[in-house]
Amino acid sequence: MSPADKKDKPADYQRVVLKNASPYHYMKVCLVLEDESTRLSAVDLKQFIISGLKSLYGEVGAALTFDLLKYDEDTLTAFLRVNSRGLVKLWSSLTLLGSYQNQACAFRVLQVSPFLLALTGNSRELQLD
Amino acid sequence: MVRVKSRYLLCELNVSDRSSLLLLDDRAVSAAVKAAVARTHGDYGAALCSIRFNVKYLNAHTGIVFLRFPKSCYRLLWSALPFITSIETRGQKIPCFFNCLHVGGTIRTCQKFLIRYNKQQLHRMLPTCKTKEEENQVCEAILNCSLTGGRREAFEDEFESEEDEEE
Repeated sequence: MSPADKKDKPADYQRVVLKNASPYHYMKVCLVLEDESTRLSAVDLKQFIISGLKSLYGEVGAALTFDLLKYDEDTLTAFLRVNSRGLVKLWSSLTLLGSYQNQACAFRVLQVSPFLLALTGNSRELQLD
Repeated sequence: MVRVKSRYLLCELNVSDRSSLLLLDDRAVSAAVKAAVARTHGDYGAALCSIRFNVKYLNAHTGIVFLRFPKSCYRLLWSALPFITSIETRGQKIPCFFNCLHVGGTIRTCQKFLIRYNKQQLHRMLPTCKTKEEENQVCEAILNCSLTGGRREAFEDEFESEEDEEE
């Protein structure tokens, strides 16, 4: 971004460009359960994801660091932060998670982005008048 | 022409009791490796391990093993080998560990390395013979072996006889 651009643009607008690959990726995922009334706490969810990683990628996979940034218990929607190198592993293990406590379940990956800010809005849910 | 490429790992099995090595067979070793890979790398590793992995050669006297892995994923499978602490065979559990000596692209290069390695070991151990007689015995054993078996067997046998001397 050149200094000339800065003057033209309003002060509150800032463009961020990462030259290298970004260190983290953020995922917005939603858990769909067969029995809708099942309650799941944040700890349970993380434990569930780790168990999925362990079954697919073993003890090495279970050691993958990822964070559960935010979790909404009502909609079962969670924000995950993971190292970019572990994104494929995490994503694939989420895909292959098929059952939670003997009931069918599925993870819907709603959005994935290297920027957390990008998850604030979803262009697929835009209502255009 | 193209060919399917593999990596051959030349490993040495270290056991506390050398006589237990004779109980081993290639199926037991391959089962131990597969179990270790499945534990450390899960279903993904187990699937990689089921494609073109096998135990090409096992010398039950010296504890030398050749493992073949697909070239694309040999590093991942290799990383599971240190986690093997015992091999179960014929109802017995043999505590052991793998020591990787060489990684080669063909069995031929591994064989060449093994011959060189055993030669080196012999040169290292020969000076530890206590009497002249012992030394003569070793030399005689080597000469006997090299007359009968093939080249490779000869070298391995001499390695073995040398170790017998040591004990």
